[in-house]
Amino acid sequence: MARRKVNGYAAIGFPTWAYVVFFFIVPLALVLWYSFGYKPDLFTAHANDILSFDRYAEALDATFVGTFWNTLRIGVIGTLLCLIIALPFAYWLAVKMNPKWRPLALALVLVPFWTNFLVRTLGWQIVLSPRGFLSDALQNLGIIHGRLDILYTQSAVQLGVVYNYLPLMILPLYVAIDRAGRPLREASADLGANRWKTLFTVTLPLAVPGIASGCLLVFIPLMGDYITASVLGGAQGNMIGQLVASQFNTAQNWALGSAMAVLLMVFTAAAVIVFGAAGLIIRSLVRRSRRVQLQGGAA
Amino acid sequence: MTAAVEGIASAIVLEEADIPQPRRRRRRDGTGVALTVWGVLVFAFLFLPIIVMFVYSFNTGRLLASWKGFGFTAYTSAAQNPIIVSSVITSLSAALGAAIVSTILGTLGGIALARSRATSTSVIIATAILTITLFTPEIVDAVSMLPWFVSLGTDWGLGVFNNGLVRLVVAHAVLSVAVVTFIVRARMQGLDASLEEAAADLYATPWRRFTQITLPVASPAIWAGALMSFTLSLDNTIVSSFVQVPGSTPWPVYIFASLRVGLRPEIAAVSTVMFLLTLVALAVVAFVLRRGDQSADDIAKTLAAG
Amino acid sequence: MVERPDIRALVPRASAARLSRRAFLSGLVVIGGTSVLAACAKSTGFAPSALPDGRVEGKLNVYSWGDYDDPSNIRSFQKSGTSVQFDSFGSNEELIAKLGATRGTSGYDIIVPTGSYIPMMAKNGLLEPLDHRYLKNMGNIDPLYLDQSWDPGNKYTVCKDWGTTGFVYDTRAIKRDLLTWGDFLDAATTEASKNVALLEDPWEVACTFFAANGIDPNTTKKADLEAANEYLVNTLAPHVKAFNSVAVTSGIPEETFTLMQAFNGDVRQGLLATDKPDAWKFVYPTPTANLWMDNWAIARGAQNMDAAYQFIDYILKPEVSFREVDYIGYSTGIKDLAAMAKKHDFSYPELVFPDAEVIQRLTPAEVNSSAGELVAILNRMMAKAGS
Repeated sequence: MARRKVNGYAAIGFPTWAYVVFFFIVPLALVLWYSFGYKPDLFTAHANDILSFDRYAEALDATFVGTFWNTLRIGVIGTLLCLIIALPFAYWLAVKMNPKWRPLALALVLVPFWTNFLVRTLGWQIVLSPRGFLSDALQNLGIIHGRLDILYTQSAVQLGVVYNYLPLMILPLYVAIDRAGRPLREASADLGANRWKTLFTVTLPLAVPGIASGCLLVFIPLMGDYITASVLGGAQGNMIGQLVASQFNTAQNWALGSAMAVLLMVFTAAAVIVFGAAGLIIRSLVRRSRRVQLQGGAA
Repeated sequence: MTAAVEGIASAIVLEEADIPQPRRRRRRDGTGVALTVWGVLVFAFLFLPIIVMFVYSFNTGRLLASWKGFGFTAYTSAAQNPIIVSSVITSLSAALGAAIVSTILGTLGGIALARSRATSTSVIIATAILTITLFTPEIVDAVSMLPWFVSLGTDWGLGVFNNGLVRLVVAHAVLSVAVVTFIVRARMQGLDASLEEAAADLYATPWRRFTQITLPVASPAIWAGALMSFTLSLDNTIVSSFVQVPGSTPWPVYIFASLRVGLRPEIAAVSTVMFLLTLVALAVVAFVLRRGDQSADDIAKTLAAG
Repeated sequence: MVERPDIRALVPRASAARLSRRAFLSGLVVIGGTSVLAACAKSTGFAPSALPDGRVEGKLNVYSWGDYDDPSNIRSFQKSGTSVQFDSFGSNEELIAKLGATRGTSGYDIIVPTGSYIPMMAKNGLLEPLDHRYLKNMGNIDPLYLDQSWDPGNKYTVCKDWGTTGFVYDTRAIKRDLLTWGDFLDAATTEASKNVALLEDPWEVACTFFAANGIDPNTTKKADLEAANEYLVNTLAPHVKAFNSVAVTSGIPEETFTLMQAFNGDVRQGLLATDKPDAWKFVYPTPTANLWMDNWAIARGAQNMDAAYQFIDYILKPEVSFREVDYIGYSTGIKDLAAMAKKHDFSYPELVFPDAEVIQRLTPAEVNSSAGELVAILNRMMAKAGS
């Protein structure tokens, strides 16, 4: 049967698009414009009477590239850690938890985000203090010898970003597992598959879109983050956001800062595309091998 | 990038199969116990710094992070500090305003997107610009918006843009309108248009169709979007600090500006109070939704979205 | 069917937006913008200030750093009938961007810029010249803090408070006496290696090298900058554990570092917070260090000029000023504060009121043509330390 759209609703979005264009796109175009300019003198942050790509060439030096790789490493490890922590947790929420408590549990995942993020990060600083209670407890339990030496290391930054972005991984995973999985899981169990087989052949494959979106939602903001790094991290946790900031801030070179911001966005997008493509290839390989297995099984 | 983002992002919102959920057989076993332990540990991880800040809000020392003794001095001195009180009020008012503006715009946008042909050029462009708002470093928003507001206020003679609260509301709404739009769109996409079509077939006016069918259908998403934009606004710092005018310093801007002389326990005290206030606000919303004939599950999930 | 909610599915995207913005705002909060200066330099149309007319206005708008004045002082000033509205900024750049972009319509009467930014602000017409006739209490300021290089004759500004940079070390880890920036760099690359914190400030970091080698910290010579780059990036950076401007207040009680470059008043906060203050030693290093000063100034376009003068004059009263010192932990430059501190049992006065001999040798930081290169050096150091 031919479906027809209810007409008339497409137009009601007009105020929304007009609003975003007027208050966001128009001023944003200015920043792109700055990136083709230059810094004319000490007291002026940018000028655009001569246009060039020189700021991009200037921005792309070894420091930028090196810091970008460092940030990429923190971003990739952070995303993977979030995934490893969130996957069993989301499975527990979606499958094992009494449905009565599930809404409460979901709300609890988000509740920490209602306090100011600087306050939360300072909370971690107190927790990780070498003379703090965690350090004492771990020493008393004999888990570590000597004081906890995490603060101002890359591990602290890694922990901080995992903390800040974990809910963004948990929620899509939960949704994916809960939404698509249940009836099929039960069908699979009814057909005699054991739980591990169900997990690997039904639940996880169906959670793939959730995994993909979770990774994306963690990775992209993480690449632009650096407050976590500057509060918890030391020299080892240096991230690229700082570089961009220092141009707008201390160096007062808006042209260069804008070029760096544009490059950061482009590089992050490129990384997403590369990882996305890799993910698709892996998925198709897994599918092919499974198909082979099934055929083998049938024969 | 937009296409890739959209593709993956829509993957998380597209399944809307309405599957009845039979009672599951519950099994107690090793894996279940291990998962439960893991779950409790993750919760402990999520709440650890919050609890620490709660505890440290009773610190009587000069610096937030160095514990001196237990007392309520932070709460009393925060309440007596007019700068802190006015910044909290500014934040709450701006958050409320931004939530209202972005919820109205986002609802319209979300319905428009969901009820238009997904491949039409206008939908693709609208989705693209909304997505860009989510991926722009905030400093870029800030440095572009301030001169724009000034220009609107002085050169264009729109005096309303010289008002601090108006600026905060407009700017925060820009930053969260995409969120509300996408939430509402996904809600509407998940539900087919047959009810609306039926109403149209029965000669309901477009207005009645909108208010009596479309809006009620979208309402959980609208509430979720409102909560989300409220929270976003409450936490916004950079753009706020740029667009503020006298008398409109919001709370997060105050916190950042205080870093120079070291954060005092007052910061933790006020954060604790605001945290509790937000909880109360959510409870109220839950209550309102319950009265509005929503199922308990709906409310909870709406809350979860906030 | 209609009841079935699908909000859950949307949550991640929604919270992502929130977090991404939060993440980006991050340290970027401090970013300011002077690009607007370009705009304001071009536009001659600055809104005029309302000149003092002897009638004190009922309100006053102050734009300052957060938590930077004793609330009890503000309360008692307000008893005179003028209500004071305080707003906060997080960096000088933010302040300048705000004033530049609003072209005299910011609404702020009093602002608090740091000394090194004042020439830039004055040149761009952001400041109203001060009429000293309205500041009777200026005589209370110690002449050491008047007539600074960035504002000769206090044409635009009056000292609000000031501080200097030094270093503090853990005497259990570094057993010798460190006195100079040379000693600091030596210890940083030996005993304290990997336990060093530097300020996240390009000028301050470069100053360690310049001072240690007898070079003017405000040098703009290419050879000096190259030498600094070579040493700081290749020699010093690998020994640095953190670049963090607020590390010292927690770094002393938590013992996260053994050697920290730090501002004097922050070190005092750290020592007040630790249970082992005797283990730490603070040094005002020779041959020189920064003298930074935050200053009261009146913004171009101020509409409450009488109240602004009255407020600044009020805050320059010795007893009011002492409460300020006690609250913020930095000296306000008023005469005889050290004596008052003694009377009030103020702890570690030497960290707030250094000897005159120390003050004489300090060099105020300047924002000059080497600023861009100093930023690049710090960024290279951070990249190197992180690799």
